[in-house]
Amino acid sequence: MKPRVYVVILLLLLPLQAGLLTPLEINGIKPDLGLAALYIIGLLTGPAEATLAGIGIGLLQDIGSASFLGFTGLTRGLVGLGSGLIGARVLDRSSPLIVVFLALFILIEGMLISLFLQVTYGEVPFFSLLFYRHIPQALYTSILCLFLLRFVNKRGILSLLKRRETGKEL
Amino acid sequence: MAVNKGPLTPTPLQQEERVSGNLAAGSGVSHNLMNRFIVKHKKSIAILLLFSVLFWLLTIQVKIGRFSILEKPVLAVSGFVERIVTWPFKTTAAIVNGYVFLVGTERENRGLHEEVDRLKVENAAANELLLENERLRDVLNFKNLERPSSISVKVIGKELSPASSTVTINKGSDHGIQKDMAVITAAGVAGKIQSVSSRTAKIILLTDPASTLAVRVQRNREEGLLEGKLVNCALKYVSYYADIQKGDLLVTSGLDGIYPPGLAVGTVVTVTKHEAVAFQTVIVKPAVSFSRLEEALVLRK
Repeated sequence: MKPRVYVVILLLLLPLQAGLLTPLEINGIKPDLGLAALYIIGLLTGPAEATLAGIGIGLLQDIGSASFLGFTGLTRGLVGLGSGLIGARVLDRSSPLIVVFLALFILIEGMLISLFLQVTYGEVPFFSLLFYRHIPQALYTSILCLFLLRFVNKRGILSLLKRRETGKEL
Repeated sequence: MAVNKGPLTPTPLQQEERVSGNLAAGSGVSHNLMNRFIVKHKKSIAILLLFSVLFWLLTIQVKIGRFSILEKPVLAVSGFVERIVTWPFKTTAAIVNGYVFLVGTERENRGLHEEVDRLKVENAAANELLLENERLRDVLNFKNLERPSSISVKVIGKELSPASSTVTINKGSDHGIQKDMAVITAAGVAGKIQSVSSRTAKIILLTDPASTLAVRVQRNREEGLLEGKLVNCALKYVSYYADIQKGDLLVTSGLDGIYPPGLAVGTVVTVTKHEAVAFQTVIVKPAVSFSRLEEALVLRK
């Protein structure tokens, strides 16, 4: 991806997530723009670049919230790694089925978070979190990602986002 | 048969040289291998190092508390862009709600007038009780209760971090808002101010895992510490023998020095007693519905 794309993402991610997506909130759940963007970065680039992007996006979200610095960076880095590995193997990026992996990543990330909170604070309502937060979030974010992927897969947009030397990571 | 082993048998000096030579060659080979491995896997090693650093950062923060570097500039920038981004949506929503959806406004207006009349009567009675309470406190030489003044704020953004619950409001230090000020709504306690920039501030909600609040059960004055659990809250350090029941209302105790006493916090949803531990698990539903949080009051200290 072009460096300026990352600058735009880092600059607009928090305000867009906090402001623009709030009207889309259903029962306290709204799609996670950071995760959807990260998944697309992973599909378009590769594991190393997507991991770094994930760490960057996660750290920004950590600074902008009340969670421990580096926690979301760590989990988002892992999601970036996973999506990068999938991106390196997938042939058809326009297939709607591809977002199934994103949903899976969100659930795994949710479980990691529950585990961490259990270790740090104790007594985390694991199943409540899973059913009322992580699963709806996974579905909602996957739908958002589907729309974003359709938009990104247009030829003009893709060339706008990606660097000239395709195939060469970082 | 005598065999001359003279030239074949190495002297101690020769032996030493050979060993050190072998070692040097061996270490050279392993050094080369190591270099080749590092060059081949440099990306993976860098990523592994980064993950290790993040993990190390986490373990430190668990011990000594959360780092708050870059919090103010990020809040200032994101708050500024949030205002710009949300402005067209809020304006459109205000126009739609104010002028287009006027259906049922008259009926709603009548209902509100009736409610205002009812509340006026209730307010008069409450004022009487308040004055009586103040007189009795004077008689008993009790310290008079101080009622803090408040700043009205609007929520301009709800952050989404998988491990925390925070919102951004439209006022900051320019309006007199400071860190750790209590934030309430008509329904009860919403949270407290976590960080402040000049024109925006961040509220850490009750459901955030880092949020703690000293509370008491209104019915029997049992005390405990309320902790956020993302989807709800949990009352900690309540004795196994304490009488806590489903439906009990929790109010602030004022012992934490942040929230004034007597504010509604939440209702007990479930109580579970385990014989193995000295405490009971009490799950609490916050009084404030955070998904519908739009306006709030920040209490001045």
